[in-house]
Amino acid sequence: MKKSEKQTVIPYEAIPEVGSYIHRVEGKDYLVMNDSMYTFYRRSMGEFSPFFLGLRDEKRILGCRCSSCGIVRIPPFLTRCPDCDFAPTELVEVGEVGKMINTPPITYFANSLFQQQVPSGRGRIVLEGADTAMSINFYTTKGILVPGIVGKGTEMKVVFRDQRVGEITDIFCVPTSELSPEQVSKTGLQESELDWEKAQEPKLPEANAEDTKRFKASLKELKDLVDEMNKCERARQDIDDWRRIVQVETTGGEIVLEIDDGDLRVSEGRSTKPDFTLVCKDIDTLLNGLAYRGSLTQAIITKNLWISVNREFTTIFKLERMARSLVKSKRK
Amino acid sequence: MSRRVGIVGAAVTPFKGKWYEKTYYELAQMAAAGALKDAGISVDDVGAVFYAIYNDIFERTCIPEHPLQGLLGMQDKFGIRISTGGATGAYTISAAHAYLAAERFNVALVLGVEKATDCYDFMSMSATPEVIKTIAWSGDSFFEQKLGWTASDSYAEVVLAYMDEHPEDLKPEVTAQISSQLSQQVKTNEFAQRQHDQVTPEEVMNSRIVVYPFKELEICVYTEGAAALILAEEDTAKAICKNTGNPVIWITGLGEANEHHMAGKNQKDLSRIMSDHLASHRAYEMAGIKNPLEEIDVVELHDAFVHQLGITMAEMGFVPLGKADSLVEEGIMTPGGKISVNPCGGLIYCGHAVGASNIMSAWSARRELIEKDLHRALVHGTGSTVAQYSATAVLERE
Repeated sequence: MKKSEKQTVIPYEAIPEVGSYIHRVEGKDYLVMNDSMYTFYRRSMGEFSPFFLGLRDEKRILGCRCSSCGIVRIPPFLTRCPDCDFAPTELVEVGEVGKMINTPPITYFANSLFQQQVPSGRGRIVLEGADTAMSINFYTTKGILVPGIVGKGTEMKVVFRDQRVGEITDIFCVPTSELSPEQVSKTGLQESELDWEKAQEPKLPEANAEDTKRFKASLKELKDLVDEMNKCERARQDIDDWRRIVQVETTGGEIVLEIDDGDLRVSEGRSTKPDFTLVCKDIDTLLNGLAYRGSLTQAIITKNLWISVNREFTTIFKLERMARSLVKSKRK
Repeated sequence: MSRRVGIVGAAVTPFKGKWYEKTYYELAQMAAAGALKDAGISVDDVGAVFYAIYNDIFERTCIPEHPLQGLLGMQDKFGIRISTGGATGAYTISAAHAYLAAERFNVALVLGVEKATDCYDFMSMSATPEVIKTIAWSGDSFFEQKLGWTASDSYAEVVLAYMDEHPEDLKPEVTAQISSQLSQQVKTNEFAQRQHDQVTPEEVMNSRIVVYPFKELEICVYTEGAAALILAEEDTAKAICKNTGNPVIWITGLGEANEHHMAGKNQKDLSRIMSDHLASHRAYEMAGIKNPLEEIDVVELHDAFVHQLGITMAEMGFVPLGKADSLVEEGIMTPGGKISVNPCGGLIYCGHAVGASNIMSAWSARRELIEKDLHRALVHGTGSTVAQYSATAVLERE
């Protein structure tokens, strides 16, 4: 199959080749098939059409108001109010600023369609003029999304995508504290009008003799650990069919981690073609994560570990899974 | 006046991360055959089958129960499938009870089966992201799926909202201790996926964040397996158990509730799991339970997440809301405490074979009542977005 130029509803990378393989369990062969279930739609948005067309064409957010009790619901689920014996509702425009109804979660390990977008936030916003909350993605313009930036009651501004197709993803929100007063008050604010902080690789301090000494000692431990991982069948399975070259920069020195379909290699130095870069002041941040004495994900969240490409969280998870697999295998 | 209904047989297959050796057809047969053997009856004695299968996409077919009807020897008899998210198994027990109590049948097979990890993500070359995606088709299709909705992030919403109201509760060291305790309890469950995976609280604390605030070792694991119960009305139940020598485990209370799927005024209060509160208290009322902590010996609780276990225990009245940590800090559920919670290891360590999970929990609760000569157990299932659904059953040994 050739990759098409057009944007498709299924990502090209997600589609497996026709094929099968044998998996052996206790001396018996079992056939495993590559397979899929797919259905395509031309799905009517029905009574939600004004809401989605409002997002796409007019940059307006519509709710529905009950003609009896006056409650305003977003999204405008209903043409009749279930609390008032199905009294009719009418569409009304609501504001573009609101508050998060509760502290929202942040996803680091996403479903397969969203792995490229982590870390991602989804919360519920009660917009001015509305009584109910609407699910919405939220971001920070100030770097990686971590807990503590958005909580219960945080005031948020709805932002419209530049390219809109009539879906709930045509909008997202950011904290108003990260915007100018003009941006907060502007109707129909678009993503291209935001000042997104660019990811900048952190600068490490000059290494002193102690840093270099510690680096050497930890690198030796890391190499021993990687040797153990390579001897652990379960850990090797965690990086089956996966290939990445990871440049790691620390104060005391540089390391290259190479993942190659079941093999993990570590060496001192620089790679000419890394897939992504990790930066940490202390090499032990990496070592502890791989030795299951800490978590690499947690180190990224606490900003003790910097990652150049967020979608490579997938690789981080595989490395963390190897760490756990080794510990479990040793225990057995 | 409805008839009394009891459990007279039960079985589970091994719960495994992946069953390469069997399809869901054979897993279903294994569990059904085991439960019939346990009850000492033939499938010819069974009048109806109630299927607990959550997700068509896992089984890669719509109406996944249709091939099972004949394969289970239930050709030409009544068969109905229940699908209510994570609460599928508990709801299916409730449905079977209703038909038997209403004198439609004398004996019923309740069969849960799920084969989740055939799903596979060819981008990350691993199963879990695709399993999560398959469940994510359960989110609101107009307003939430495309935002990256997952079961984990929707339950995290509830947990974080609870923590907004009770910031001193659900401390990380306490949730870690509960997970560690469950990993010890699973050692006696020979059918569990993680029977030999004992972890320390420190390991739980160090495990990676999957969806804030959930850590990897605080989340149930996806599993493949099946579980089955044989239910019978009173006279038949007594006759069956006279033969087997096992006591009838009576279903004396049932309660269910489904909340709104969206939050805000007149809708879901995210800081509560009202579905659990309502379902459990309805079951208590039916069973005549006034003080659950004093009157229930065992809880087999659907622990999708450790934090939710704590909230659910509070919603079910074992501790006050905001005091879930007292389950551990006051020794209520620790070994030797007033109540045994998830002696099977829960879904976090036994595994979550979704449609089969709550039925496995009922299997475990019955085993506890019989083997430890206890009086009363509570079985619980939670499911759908933001813990929207709940179903509970009170089991009693006379």
